This record gives sequence, C-alpha cells and structure tokens, in this order.
Amino acid sequence: MALASAAVNWLKLRRLWRPSPLKRRYDTVIIGGGVHGLATAYYLARNHGIRDVAVLESHYIGFGGSGRNTAIVRANQRTAENVRLYDEGLKLWRVLTDELDFNLMFFNCGSLLLGHSEASTGAFRMAASTHNFMGVHSELLDPQQCAEVIPGLDISDRPRFPIQAGLYHPPGGIVRHDAVVWGLAKGAAARGVHIHQGCDVRGIKTDAGRVTGVRTSLGDIGCNRLGIMAGGYSTAIAAILGIELPIHPLTIQAMVTHPLKPFLHHVFSSTAYHVYANQTLKGEIATGAHMDPQVNYTTDATAYYLKHQAEALVELMPALRGVRFMRIWAGLADMTPDMAPIMEGNLGWDGLYLDAGWGYFGFKSGPVAGKYMAEYMATGERPEMLKAFQLKRFLENRYSGETPAVMKYGHWD
Amino acid sequence: MTFRLTCPVCGKRDVYEFTFGGQERGPRPAQEGLSAEEHFRWVQFRLIPGGCETREEGASRADVREPLQEEWWYHGQGCGVWFTTTRDPMTNREVEGGGGG
Amino acid sequence: MADAGRLPEGRLPPGPTCRVDFSRPLAFTFLGRPMTGFAGDTVASALYAAGVRVFSRSLKYHRPRGLYSMDGESSNTFMAIDGVPNECAETTALRAGMSVAAQNVRGDPRTDRFAFIDRFDRLMPAGFYYRLFHRPYRLWPLFQNGLRRMAGTGVLDPRRNYHRDGVRAERHLNAEVAVVGGGAAGMSAALAAAESGLRVCLFERRPWLGGHLAWRVRDFEGEPLHHRAGALAARVRATGNVRVFTSSPVTGVWGDNLVTGFTIGARDDPFRECHWECRAGTVVVASGCMDRPLVFNHNDRPGVMQAGTAWRLARMYAVRPGGAAVFSVGDDMSLEAAVDLADLGVEVRGVADAREAGRQDPGLVASLAERDIPVLSGWAASRAMGRRRVKACELRPLRGGGSRRFRCDLLVANGGMQPRIGVLATVKAKLAYCADTHSYQPEELPEGVFVAGSMTGLRDPRSIEASGRLAGHRAAVSCRGGAATTAVDAASAVRRDAGSAADGLPGPVSGCDIRHGPALGRGAKAFVDLDEDGTYKNVVESAAQGFDVPELAKRFGGFGLGPGQYRVTGQNLAMIMADLRGDPVETATPTTVRPPLVPPSLATLAGPGHDVHKRTPLHGELAGWGAVFRRAGEWERARYFSEDHSCRDEILNVRRNVGILDSSPLGKFRIHGPDALKALQRVYVSDMREARPGRCKYSAMCNDMGQLVDDGLVVGEGDHDYYFTTSSGRAGSTVEWFRYHTRHDGWDYNLVNLTDVLGSVNVAGPNARRVLERVTTDDVSNEAFPYLGCRHITVGDGVGARCLRLGFVGELSFELHVPSSYCRYVWALLVEAGADFGIQPFGLEAQYCLRAEKGHVIIGAESEARVTLTDIGMGWLWDREDTVSKKVGAPALRACENQPGRMKLVGFRVDERSGSLRDGAVVVGRAERGVGGMAGDGEIAGYVCTTRRSDVLGWQYGMALVHEGVAVHGGRLLIRQEELPGRPESCTATVVPPPFYDPEGTKLRS
Repeated sequence: MALASAAVNWLKLRRLWRPSPLKRRYDTVIIGGGVHGLATAYYLARNHGIRDVAVLESHYIGFGGSGRNTAIVRANQRTAENVRLYDEGLKLWRVLTDELDFNLMFFNCGSLLLGHSEASTGAFRMAASTHNFMGVHSELLDPQQCAEVIPGLDISDRPRFPIQAGLYHPPGGIVRHDAVVWGLAKGAAARGVHIHQGCDVRGIKTDAGRVTGVRTSLGDIGCNRLGIMAGGYSTAIAAILGIELPIHPLTIQAMVTHPLKPFLHHVFSSTAYHVYANQTLKGEIATGAHMDPQVNYTTDATAYYLKHQAEALVELMPALRGVRFMRIWAGLADMTPDMAPIMEGNLGWDGLYLDAGWGYFGFKSGPVAGKYMAEYMATGERPEMLKAFQLKRFLENRYSGETPAVMKYGHWD
Repeated sequence: MTFRLTCPVCGKRDVYEFTFGGQERGPRPAQEGLSAEEHFRWVQFRLIPGGCETREEGASRADVREPLQEEWWYHGQGCGVWFTTTRDPMTNREVEGGGGG
Repeated sequence: MADAGRLPEGRLPPGPTCRVDFSRPLAFTFLGRPMTGFAGDTVASALYAAGVRVFSRSLKYHRPRGLYSMDGESSNTFMAIDGVPNECAETTALRAGMSVAAQNVRGDPRTDRFAFIDRFDRLMPAGFYYRLFHRPYRLWPLFQNGLRRMAGTGVLDPRRNYHRDGVRAERHLNAEVAVVGGGAAGMSAALAAAESGLRVCLFERRPWLGGHLAWRVRDFEGEPLHHRAGALAARVRATGNVRVFTSSPVTGVWGDNLVTGFTIGARDDPFRECHWECRAGTVVVASGCMDRPLVFNHNDRPGVMQAGTAWRLARMYAVRPGGAAVFSVGDDMSLEAAVDLADLGVEVRGVADAREAGRQDPGLVASLAERDIPVLSGWAASRAMGRRRVKACELRPLRGGGSRRFRCDLLVANGGMQPRIGVLATVKAKLAYCADTHSYQPEELPEGVFVAGSMTGLRDPRSIEASGRLAGHRAAVSCRGGAATTAVDAASAVRRDAGSAADGLPGPVSGCDIRHGPALGRGAKAFVDLDEDGTYKNVVESAAQGFDVPELAKRFGGFGLGPGQYRVTGQNLAMIMADLRGDPVETATPTTVRPPLVPPSLATLAGPGHDVHKRTPLHGELAGWGAVFRRAGEWERARYFSEDHSCRDEILNVRRNVGILDSSPLGKFRIHGPDALKALQRVYVSDMREARPGRCKYSAMCNDMGQLVDDGLVVGEGDHDYYFTTSSGRAGSTVEWFRYHTRHDGWDYNLVNLTDVLGSVNVAGPNARRVLERVTTDDVSNEAFPYLGCRHITVGDGVGARCLRLGFVGELSFELHVPSSYCRYVWALLVEAGADFGIQPFGLEAQYCLRAEKGHVIIGAESEARVTLTDIGMGWLWDREDTVSKKVGAPALRACENQPGRMKLVGFRVDERSGSLRDGAVVVGRAERGVGGMAGDGEIAGYVCTTRRSDVLGWQYGMALVHEGVAVHGGRLLIRQEELPGRPESCTATVVPPPFYDPEGTKLRS
C-alpha cells in the first residue's frame, strides 16, 4: 500500500522546500546550511516545538563539507564517549529516512579498517572489545578473513606495509550525502523553519552579555539564540566575536573513479596508507585522502593527492590499477587537536551556541549532533551526551582519546 | 594547492618539501606565573588578530575572510632551516615578499 | 584513386591527411568476432569502419550509443579492451590482437535485453530514487541491490592484476613556458616563447600536432591548411628548446603552474604510459574548441555525431562516416566539413544552420550551393528517427512552423563550437559568458597564464597563429626566466605582434546561441548529459523541485557527473537553466570544472612504485640468521628469528645467556656549540647538566601538552659537546624538533644527525661482559665501567667504538656504536666471541617483551594522547625546579600532576594461571565479587597496552592505561576482550607496580 501511494506521489514534482520571506527577527538563528545546521533546526522544530528558526547559508545548502565528504558512516570510534554518540547517529539514518519520507540511500555495507603492524592488532582488539562491550558490533579479523570480506585485497607480503589485521564493523556503511541535506531541509521547512540561501553573515550583535542578532548580506536579523554550525568556516565566524578556538580549517580531498559494476561491497580504509574507499551506488570508487597541515580555506585539489591516492589504493587492492580517476575535489575539515568536536552553549555570550571542530567526522555525526544541539539550545542545559565535548577539555589537557596519536606542535599536524 | 614556498636558503620549492610549524606567536612565554589556561591557549588556540575581517559591504559574494598569517615552515627535505613566511589562508599562497624571514 | 576498388570495406581513399596505413593491417576481435583495422586507427575508427554502430548501452535507459566524439567526451564508446574496463575506444590506439567488448549490455549491444527500460523513462523523473524505494524500509535493501547492479558500466575483476604488463614511468619536468595544446596557436606560442631561448614544453593530447588544421584541406593563402600545420610542426620539432609531448593529455594545471598529465607510449617508447609533472613559469592555454552538443529529441542515437567526428573519421582515418548525411550545425567550420564530406563522396542531403541567414561565411554557402546542398538558415534538427541507429531526421525552423524530413544514416549535429575551458577553469581564470561568441571566456587570467587560439573565438588561421605568437611572447616576458635583454626583445616582439594582430586580421567570430532543437515536446528524449542519461526533461524536473541552478541540478539530477564530466553538459546546462529561471543567459554559472581533465589510470599515477626504505648495515647478517623482517618507519627491521612469534627462545637466551641485537636505526646525534646545553635543557625534561663525560643521562622529551614524544640517553663528550640517542622513529624529526623549540632564541649550537653514519650493536644478557672481554683489551669490569657508563673502547683490530652500558631489556647490556662500515666486522667479532656463551640474535619483538617485563615504556605502546609523562609513571624524570629553561612540556606537567580523574599507567599480574589475554583488551572496572561472579563497573575504565605470559616470571604480566580510580596498587581489575560479538573472554588481574622482572635492578648493575 505504502509503495502504491509512493508510486502515485513520485511523479508529482514539487519543490522540496519553499523559499521563505526573510523576517527581521527569529527566535533562533543558525549559521550554516549543512547537515549540522539543518539537523539542529529540524530537531528544534520537531522535538522542542521551536519553529521560529532561520538557517542562514552563504552559498546553497550542502555547499560545504556536507556535500564534499565520502559519505561514510560508522560507529567504530576509539573511546566510549565517542562510540556512544556515533552509534546513536548510525541508528538515525533509517529513522530519518522514514520521518523525512526521503530516501537517504543508506547502504549498510559495513566497513573494514585495515591494520599494517603488530601494534594495530592490539589497537583493533581494544576497539572491538570496546564496541562489543557497548553493544556495537565489531570484529577483529586476520588477513585471510579480511580477504574473504573484501576479495581483491592484497594480503601477501608484497605491499610496503602488509595487511596484518582488520577491524570489521558491519553496522557501518555509506549514505547519499546530498540526500541528507535535502531531506533535512525538506523536513525542517515543512515544520516552519526558514532556509535562506545566499545569505552571508557579516557580523554578530550582542548586548549586555547576550547575543541579539546577526548582520547579513540580506540585512540585520534579530535573534535570542544563535548557533554557529558552519563547519570549516566556524572559527572565522566565531572570531567576529573575538572567540579563539583550537580549530584548524584544513583542506581535505576526495576523488572518484569511473563507474564500475559492483565489486567492492564494503568500505575499506587504512590509516597507515591514509586512504578510505567505497563503491558508491552509482558504481564509482570514492576515496578520500589525508590533509595538508596548513590552515587554508580553499577547496583546491592538488596533483599530489591524486597521485598519492593512486599509489595507496593499488598497494591495497592491485586490481584498481585498471581504473581511472575522473574527478577530484576538496572540502574543509575543521580539525581539533584530539580530532573530537566542540559542542558548547552560552559560549562567552548567553544564547551563543557552537557546534564545530568535527574534522572529517562531520557528516556521519550530523543528525545526532543536531538532535543534541537542539536539546541544548531549547533547554539551555548541556545534555549528558555532550559532556565529553566541551571546549574546556583543551584548557585542562583532557583529550577525548578519539585518536591515540599525539600532536607534534599544538596546531593540527 | 601545489604551491611553492620561498626558503631563505633554497629559494622557491614545492610546499611538500616543507613541514608546517604553525602560526608565529612570539617567543615561548616565561613559565614563572604562567597559568595553565594561558599555556594551553598559547599552544593550541589559533590567533585571528583583530577578529575576522568581515566582508566589505556591498561585495556581491565572498567567503569568510581571515587575515594574512605569519607562520613557520621547516625545509625538511632541503636545507633544514626553520623560517617564517606570510601566507594568505584564503588563497593558500605565499604572499609575495613573505619569504626569507 | 586507381586503387579505390581494392579499398577495405567502409574506407575512403586515403587522402593527404590520412594517418592510417593500409599496408599494415591489424587483426582484433569485437565480441569475439574477428575484425581488421590498420596501423594508425583508434579502436573506435576501426570498429566504425567495420560497420559497428552500437558501441554500448547507456547507463540508465540502456539506449544504444554510438560514436559521438573522437576525444573521449562521453562514455558512449567506453569498452572493455583486453579485459580492462572503461577504456575509451576513441582515444585508444588499435593494436594487433586486441579483444574488444561492449559494456553495460546483456547480450549483443544491438539487441540488449534491458533495452525495454527505455520505455519507462517517464517513471524515472530527476531524483526519483530519493522519493521511492524506502517504503516500507525493509524492501530498501532489495531495491538498493537492484540499483547497484543496474548502475556502473565496466566490469572489474577484483582478483586480477591490471596493467602489470608494460612499464609505468614518471618524469619531472621544468620549463619556463608550458603550452597546452599543439594546434596552430599552441605551436606559434611555443615558437615565439622559444625565441628568447627559454625552455618550452608543448603538450598535445592527440598523437600529432596541428589541431584542426591537421585534417583540413581547404586552400588558404595559396596552400591547403594542413600544409600550414605541417610547416609549423616541422619548425617546432626543429627548435631545440621546445620539447614536444604528443599523445600527452594534460590532467590539470595546479598551483604555481604545475602542469600534470601523462604520455601514452608509442610503439618504440620504453614505457606504456608515463606520468609527468611540469613546473612551469608561465602557461599558454591553447586547448581549442569542441562541438557544443545540440539538444534535440533522440540526439543520442548512433549516427548522430559531432562535425569534428565525421570529418576526422573521413580525413584522418579514411573511414566513411555515412552514406547519406544531414547537418544541423551552428558554425562555419561545420559548414566546411559538410563541403569536404560531400567532396569525399558522402551524400549531404541538407544543412540546417541554427544561425540566421547572412551570418555564415558566404564562400562556404556558395560552395554548398555549388554542390546542390540545401542550406536552411535558422533551422535545426528537432528529431532523429530510427531505433538502433539514425535512419532519418526531422528539421524545423527555430521560429515559425514547418518541418522537413530527410532519410540519412549520419546526422552531424552541434550548436556551434564551445571552447575547451578545462585548463582555464583549473587555474581559476574568471570565466564569464560572452554574448558575442556565445561561449565562456576568461574575464581575468591569473598571473602567468595566457590564452590563445580558437578557444577565444578566433577562426582565421592567421589570427589564430598571431594570437599564439602574442601569448608566447607575453609568456616569455612574464615568466622572468629569460635574461633581461631577451625579455626586452620579447617585450618588443609583443608590441610588434600586438600591432599586427590588430592590423586587419579578423577577430573572434560571433557564435551561435541555440539552447535546444525546435519543438521539444514533453516526451522528448533530448539528452543534455549522455553518461547518466540526463535529458532536457530531467533539467526541467530538477528545476521544478527547487534545484534550479546548475550546481544543484548537477547533484540532484546527475548532470556532468559521469566520465564526460562538464564537457558535454557544462555550457548547455547553464544556458538551459538560465532560460528556465527566466534569467538572462549571462547570469548562468556553469558547474565547477574538476580535474583531472582527462582521466589517468591509477596504474599510471602510481607509477613505478619505488619502494623507498632503509636497511641497516647488518641486513645481510640478520637474513643469514633467518630474520623475519618488518617495516618499522622507514627501516626494514628484524622482528623475529623464528616462526615462533612469542619469541620464547630469543627471550630466554637473553635472560640466561646472551643475545645480540642490531639496533642501528637508533637515532644518534651530536650537539655542540656554546648554547648546546641550553638547547638540551629546553627539549629534555630533566636537568641535563647531569649529562657528563663517561656518564649516560637518561631523559625524555615531551610536547607542549606534556605528552611523551621521545626518550634516550645523553652523554657529555667535552666542553659544550654532547652525544645523544633518540628512539628510531624520532631520528628523522629530532633536528626539526630542537630547532623548532629554540627558533626564537638565536642560540649558537650545531646539531648533527649521525643515525646513518653509525651503526649499533647491542649485547645483552648475563654473559654480555664475557663476550665483550673477548673482543677488547679495555677494562669493562663493573668497577671500571658501571651501569649507565659510557666508554670509548677498541674492539678487534683497532675499531674504535663508543660503548654505552644500558639496561633497556633489564640485563647487563653493552651497546657498541661504531661507524656503519665497521658494523659487519664488529658483529662477526661478537658472534664469534659469544659462540661459547650461547650468543643468539634477538629481534624487535623479543626486545619489546624483555623491556615490558622490566616495565620500560615504549612511546605509543604505553603512552597516548590522553596521558602525560607523569601519568605514565615517568614524572621522576622531570626537573620541576627548573623554570628558567622554559622546558617544553613543563607547564603542562605542572598543570596536570595533581589533576584528579586522569588516566594512569599501571602494571598488573593476571590472576589466572593460563589465559588468552592479549594487547588491547579493555579494563571494565574493578573486579568485585558479585552475585553472578565477577562484575565490573559497567563502564570502560581503560585498556591493556601490553601483556605477555612470561616464561621467566612464570605468570602473565601487563601494563594498562586506566582511569585513576582503578589504578590502585593491590586492587583488582576486571579485564575483558571481545574480538567477536557475543564471545567475550574475561579475567581478573591484580595491580602490581612494575618492573615485574628483577625489581631491584641487580641484573643490569651486575
């Protein structure tokens, strides 16, 4: 029945969301029309009845990191507080697909992280034990099992860093990133949220310790609450108020090959080779690379990564020698020293909220972060789930453990 | 971008020969009387002097802007010298005359 | 012409511009059927000559697709060639024995079994999949698998090794001027730039130079155009400072004019493909034009092709493009093609020109009239007929009524020419719509980038060449590569050329602004994008759903996301979308052009894949002992000496007899100069004044967060002179580290990395001294050479060694640092001397266990980002009194030393006698006896860094990083590992302080 009504509906082409008139004042203004901003707006309206919300997007929604990532979703983080958050996020794709009545194309293909040293086996055992203890499915695999999961992986001694272990995480997968943006926009707009594209934020107004509004290219807008959720641009926006953050916007690159019939049925990744790859529903191998360390707002790709990525991929899966890259692009990753985000409320000014520093985990966390930021903004009380992601941890030297690696010099390297 | 940096010893070289050393923030502060917060800010927080320059009114279209950044680079695959240069984070290019400091 | 009767089937008599050699037939197969082509053919030209019209089936609708372009503008002719998927038949040179197969077909491409899908296009509006298939959700995986199977084109066998044959090479070029495009403009630019003596690289994607002049036979200034191209090419080839790269597509021009691309090897090249990167001072972009596709009903039928395609088939490959042709075009070059094809014997039945009458070249109009070819100005194709290939077409006026039908098997269609803007877009030239040429033209060029040739709208060969010369001279002046005098010369040449260019030569010609063919009905299948079957109707549908700018429509409807990228789709989508929005066409912004401009294979990008790594001077010796090597950083190191990876025998031999370890990768440095001590005080946490001659000072380096980054020994060598060691992994960044942390101080010290200069051999075990005594006459007794001492001793026939008495593995141990060239000698000496004492080599894994028994920390194994030096029990190293040296890490250590709630490193003893506990198990809290046995706290409280069962101790020991609350000596930990869900194993352990082995340290002091 549902299928029949969908079939009748899908030929009626309507705007997914209607353009709204710009009001001079909203209860809540969110800067950033990406997954985080839209999800926060959606949940403010859906869960907290706060519908007088505007989402301001400088370009078009999904222009930033939301539309530039490799769409991988997973919950196999390293430490408990991170696993808890991402696990809830992972379970939301299906729920949202229903709620938004928009196919987010969640392909639950599972992901396989490859290890290339004796030490990685221990690190994977630690992760798998943590996950399974928390009810998140992960498996520690030996090289032979890795090759059974992903035929074509080179598990011989030939590669520079032979595969020695795998961390298999069946609940992971990929989601169509643009669909998430559009679906959330649809859902938010349907609940009364105004989405303003092409709206640059040029200033933030405060009065007596409170945020009172924003100056934009479309005029001044008053508000009681302001959320900065602008991904890589968040630090620059926070800096308008003189807020300094340990966030470093870096260019991160991704690329796709020509489309192929399905042969790679899982996400695979390797930190030793700085590579992650999956086959999209359209058949391209989408793969993401490492980052250049210097702060940089361009979304320029480099020849270096095109080559580096090819070198890495053919080491792991020699059959990929036979495919071609057809497109490379870049986005911004807002890196913090411990690779975990900063979710803060009443940051220096009452009513000022910040959700940033997601690095390259911003897509997979979008909806769940939005859910909790909405709760935070609606109640003014920091949700338990967000206690691990406060700014003060950097001033107390309490990193989140998202990565074991230590930074060389305090900036992100 | 595959840009080049001006090493004071070796001249213009591909950026991938260098290690990034972060913003120039002045000499290491004296430890006497240094609070933990001051220290951790000095190490990790990015300084955006004068806040972020907001866009000129009337400009049709622009991204957020950050000011030019004076920063450290190490010529690891070359002469092994640390030097400062000035780079525009908006274009990811060294500013002319910024090298050789 | 006399041989016309003996021409191979489908071929025309070879003319003066033909590149195919009929004397060299090449046999190949298509879908198993034997076929013959000739040297000089591409796979596509050979197939077309052999009568193949349907090359593939389209992605979504499985429509038949044929030869549309010759430069790989779409995936129409992507084929599996020798099993390699997605090879472009248009640009792949034919070789003997090739096996060619069609893609995305079930059965024969002419009768594909999925062809029926085309009838359901109405049910698949743009973005339909976002609004379908998810209800009920449980059915989605089924649909998803169906979608996946239908998507994609080529078939890759994941177990096959592709392109293992043939060498992949890599070149790094430098040039003052790089020229992209080897047509008349590019060649003129290269010649002009070369006049100043600069190094010029010219890159041309086709196998020959000349661009469109290479196949044009029209007379111009008394000679055929191709002679002009030939003459220019000869001059370019004869100019020593111009390096010419043909068959060399440019993949992108990146920051600071880094031009990248690859060269497809010719028969006599030593490589199959070669990736290159050219760092250029300036770049001249002369990449020419291509047909702008005409959007009309069934514009994707096999038989519909670019003017350039039909023309090149005939003129370069001597292939008959069709018997009866109709043209629906919008520029003079296509009219010239019509005339030329008619002269070659193709029956041209009619020419529609989307431009109004009077805008065509009168000479060409007259030539068409002479040949009785009707020209319909202001008309365009509205429809192609025929199911699998074009059989007829319908032309209509763009304004007003009426229509005409022509039977034909070739429909040459375009909406005029569009420049190949790829390179300009990647260098971030500001492109804007030019209402005269009706194309995107650079408004502003970045510094050091110049543009020339037909892409600027020029058509007259003299203008094209002049624009090339001008750009070449300008590039020469701009790049500053030339000496001042030549720059002056070049500058005057610029003035001269600029003068002559303005001096009566024709400028850019006005273009054609047609958006789509006439009478595009609701049901029309007029393709804007060939790769992903994006129709005009889909553009309308995207806009209706709110995706009404090209960048959004691209993402929503999939326009320009396939292998052709922006090339077929870009300009048309922007123009159509502007119309749909009711905006002036000048406001349309095309989608972003993304590199690579031509797709390189991963095999070529990966190149020869040199495996750069280091071996120690003792590699051969270790191999002789049966070492199993593993990569450790940049080094190849001996990890095991047997298949027993627990290394039981290696460990026991060190504990009972004596072992020998190649520790050469250890970082070894000398620092000297007046401020050497200051530098040491800055980076090490301890009081480094204690590093005196003959005495090793052990200390650690922290980063500014107080996290451990390195540890090692420092020995005084003399006044302001120290020798020190670092961990192997840090050797490469130690100089960087010292200099970074003293960068503001202006201190005077020299730091020399001796890591590769000196090898080191470690002899450890109760018998170590006895071994050493046999190779030296120096006094190595415990009294003369105590623990942590450092002596210069002479071994064997007078080899001087710096000998350090250490205790990393917890035994009496000497480490000999000797010049690398003496390492093998010293090793042999020690092995021989130790034979009576049971000397055996041990590897990294044994060392790892030995030190762990001793409770010694390895960076990264027992330390991580959440813990400081103090947290891991090494706080005793920190000289907390020193606040003047500004020690790196000291403020963080001070801030955190008494901070509650931190993680701590603890030692533990596993309570069970035997168990499977291994590194990485998690601590789930204090073990307390509960109702159902042992229960933890329900929270993860840390993890096991290292644990081993020790044969020496007789129990399993370990070190764990745990929350402070459970880091209580004598307390019990509940440890759990769950490698597979539902299969947890747990055990309890008692917190005991390390070291586990020889806690009093008597062994290493013996």
